[in-house]
Amino acid sequence: MIDIPAPERIGVRERVLGRTRYGFDQGREGDLFLALVRADRAPARIRKINTAKAEALEGVVRVFTAKDIPGRNSLGIIPGTKDQEFLAQDLVRHLGQAVALVAAETKEIAEAGARAVALELEDIPGVFDPVKALEPNQPLVHPGREGGNLLLDRRVVKGDAEEALDRCAVKIEAEYFTSHVEHAALECEGGRAEIQDGRLVIWACSQNPHYDRNDVALFLGLKPEQVRGFQAETGGGFGGKLDVSVQPYLGLAAWLLRRPVRLAYTREESILATGKRHPYRMRYLSGADEEGRLQAMKIDLLGDTGAFASYGLAVCLRAMTHATGPYFVPHVHIRSRIAYTNNPWAGAMRGFGVPQVAFAHEAQMDALADALGLDRLEFRIKNALRQGQATATGQVLERSVGLVQCLERIKPVYQTWRKKIGGENQGRLLQGIGLGAMYYGIGNTGVPNPATAQVAWTPEGRVVLYTGAADIGQGSDTVLVQLAAKRLGLAPERLDLVRGDTDLTTDAGATSASRQTYISGNAVVAAAADLERIILDEAAEMLEIHPRDLELHGEEVRAKGSPGNAVAVLEAVQSLSAKGRKAKGEGRFDPDILALDPQTGQGSPYATYAFAAQAAWVEVDPDSAMTRVKKVAAVHDVGKAVNKRSVIGQICGGVMMGVGMALMEEFEPGRTTNLQNYHIPTTADAPQIEPMFVESEEASGPYGAKGVGEPALIPTAPAVASAVSRAVGRPLRRLPLNLERIMAALSGGDREELDPEGC
Amino acid sequence: MDIGFVLNGQHVEVKSANGDLSLLDLLRDRLDLMGTKEGCGVGECGACSVLLDGKVVNSCLTPAGKVAGRKVTTIEGLAGPGRGELHPIQEAFIETGAVQCGFCTPGMILATLSLLSENPDPTDDEIKIALAGNLCRCTGYHDIIRAVRRAAGKMRGGRP
Repeated sequence: MIDIPAPERIGVRERVLGRTRYGFDQGREGDLFLALVRADRAPARIRKINTAKAEALEGVVRVFTAKDIPGRNSLGIIPGTKDQEFLAQDLVRHLGQAVALVAAETKEIAEAGARAVALELEDIPGVFDPVKALEPNQPLVHPGREGGNLLLDRRVVKGDAEEALDRCAVKIEAEYFTSHVEHAALECEGGRAEIQDGRLVIWACSQNPHYDRNDVALFLGLKPEQVRGFQAETGGGFGGKLDVSVQPYLGLAAWLLRRPVRLAYTREESILATGKRHPYRMRYLSGADEEGRLQAMKIDLLGDTGAFASYGLAVCLRAMTHATGPYFVPHVHIRSRIAYTNNPWAGAMRGFGVPQVAFAHEAQMDALADALGLDRLEFRIKNALRQGQATATGQVLERSVGLVQCLERIKPVYQTWRKKIGGENQGRLLQGIGLGAMYYGIGNTGVPNPATAQVAWTPEGRVVLYTGAADIGQGSDTVLVQLAAKRLGLAPERLDLVRGDTDLTTDAGATSASRQTYISGNAVVAAAADLERIILDEAAEMLEIHPRDLELHGEEVRAKGSPGNAVAVLEAVQSLSAKGRKAKGEGRFDPDILALDPQTGQGSPYATYAFAAQAAWVEVDPDSAMTRVKKVAAVHDVGKAVNKRSVIGQICGGVMMGVGMALMEEFEPGRTTNLQNYHIPTTADAPQIEPMFVESEEASGPYGAKGVGEPALIPTAPAVASAVSRAVGRPLRRLPLNLERIMAALSGGDREELDPEGC
Repeated sequence: MDIGFVLNGQHVEVKSANGDLSLLDLLRDRLDLMGTKEGCGVGECGACSVLLDGKVVNSCLTPAGKVAGRKVTTIEGLAGPGRGELHPIQEAFIETGAVQCGFCTPGMILATLSLLSENPDPTDDEIKIALAGNLCRCTGYHDIIRAVRRAAGKMRGGRP
């Protein structure tokens, strides 16, 4: 196994000293403050926006409305579905949508100004349920849009699911539901903008600085090069900072007023007005033969994207490609749809639709195993995808398929725990052990998603890595520096990093889809290799030795077999510099994919997959329904772990977020306002977590690495839900399993919701 | 009103502060100490934790006037005077990987200091109770709890 030295995490010293300046902390003396006027009901037609009173306040500089936007007032990550109005034009489509923007000399005056803007709104009929949204004669969220409220409708068809289901010895049919989930990154969205030399410069928290820059330019009718964007240090993202948030407002006010401005969302705004995890309704019909081999699945998925498309297309396709779970299923029919509603918009959140389908496919696995009289873990091992087998989309997995190892590794833990509760179940508390397994395609679904990077030696002797990849706390800065250092044969501490400045770095794509280690990592290694070539070529001239007979040894280039015949890299770099040339290597990597067929959904949408299996142990108090996750064991196939400490950090953080999704997290528009009524797990909820990894080396990855950010979360909610379901002795099909739902299950509950339908 | 208090060991005087100013806004807006974070503004997340006379408080809920004549410690006041010198808790947070995005970190570290000054050798359950008011969305608390144990060892003078 290749050893990749890990330095102290980049930026950690500033963080423990409290010196890190996040987007939320951006501000300088003399900034104007911004505040947004948000609609207090939706949907509605805007009759009038009366700004006179606000503008008359001393200290209010200007009130902006949609008509002031010089460019395109409809933004979004995916070309073709850019539909989010940053200041509502004629219609308010969701509660909390921004209608006007106030700029003022102080924060207090900006807020007073926002309160003084009078909105005249006329209520119009809306639709809040995605099932209803697709029925005929329903109100349209985007009137005149071709396709009405249906954002996307796609299928995966492999074999003949109907016919195969007829032949199955056991079949399980059930319907599952998940809720809106809020990212709740500890840092609320914030940033600052000013004009420098006639250009707009923005510092803001972000997961995708180059995209942000381009959408701000579009919003203002500028060329991208008129805008410089910086990814400010970012206090967590989890997908919530993939869409632009404060950036268009900062840009609008700074550009039109030619003054520096700042804006930081309150937690209330951050919860109300940024994207959520898509709620899903999922119908599954799964069948297996007598020996317990999965034969067929028929799946119908429906997600709610709310008022805007955001990442809806990506979520629709990823939920679809992962709907069967990490199992070999010969016959598959999946329909995947996403509908618009007047709910707050949903966007990207850690897992992109996979945590939702994993809840369903794992509950189906449990039910099938039980119906067959098989052990739930053995049933999964029997059906786990193996090397050489094809996924639902017909992609044959050629390498790095570590699922069986993950399941085998979880087995002793699972068996020990089950034995233990056999004894402890005599106690008052109900005990349950559950399993969850998953696979996750690294990178975007079936589309090119390249990253670029550069690595340079300067004539002053600095070695600098340039990357556009946003580090949002997960640690990509450190991993990318480690990879570049490894390729150049230098200690990681030797490298400087320039990250997330759109002038000095090039596009690395989004920090999403667990893609930066694999995709940016490969780009960085390619850049370092290119730099090595440049240095060797120059050294070859200096030493009069063919480059192929030279080797890079960190700070020195040596002749192979004759180490005394050497030149310092710095000398070669200075020699290049004297000729007016730079020692700067360029790297680019785009994963090898095959687009999905639009009719059959067949293709190879991802170059590689991460795999995982987790087990959860829960205790349920039968009187109060209070539920505690005692332990979670998490085994992840991440390929080669570049930075073990960070991989463990991702696994443990993902598990905790999964516990939240399983037991408590549900955003309800108009009811959930702040962290006192949107609960995320605290230390009191923290289970004992046992992180483990299987390093199934990925040949196409940088030194064998894949990814882990989202996989960490995905199996947890299924495992916890399965454990609770075991404890209470009933299937549970709606997340989160809050007190009310568990209490209902304990007391016999609503059979409609809790019991299997059909079969 | 004018507010005089001891901030990180030094006497400071803030002139004509608003009566409804919070300690958080006093620190961030008037004294430019940005290490104290705001995560919710309603006392739920603990990102704004500081020490008031050695005990952890949510600075967002503490009226600025209340600190007059008292001692306030923020994250900026923890490290020693020498360059690069860290408090043992800060060292432990780095060494255990307890810092990811770091937005909760200042509050976590101050809550830890408050705990360890009262209970130098806490059990995991005591650590969990003491930090239950400080939210972290990145780490799952796993490495934070390890950091607190390690810091406790360092501060007792034993091996971590």
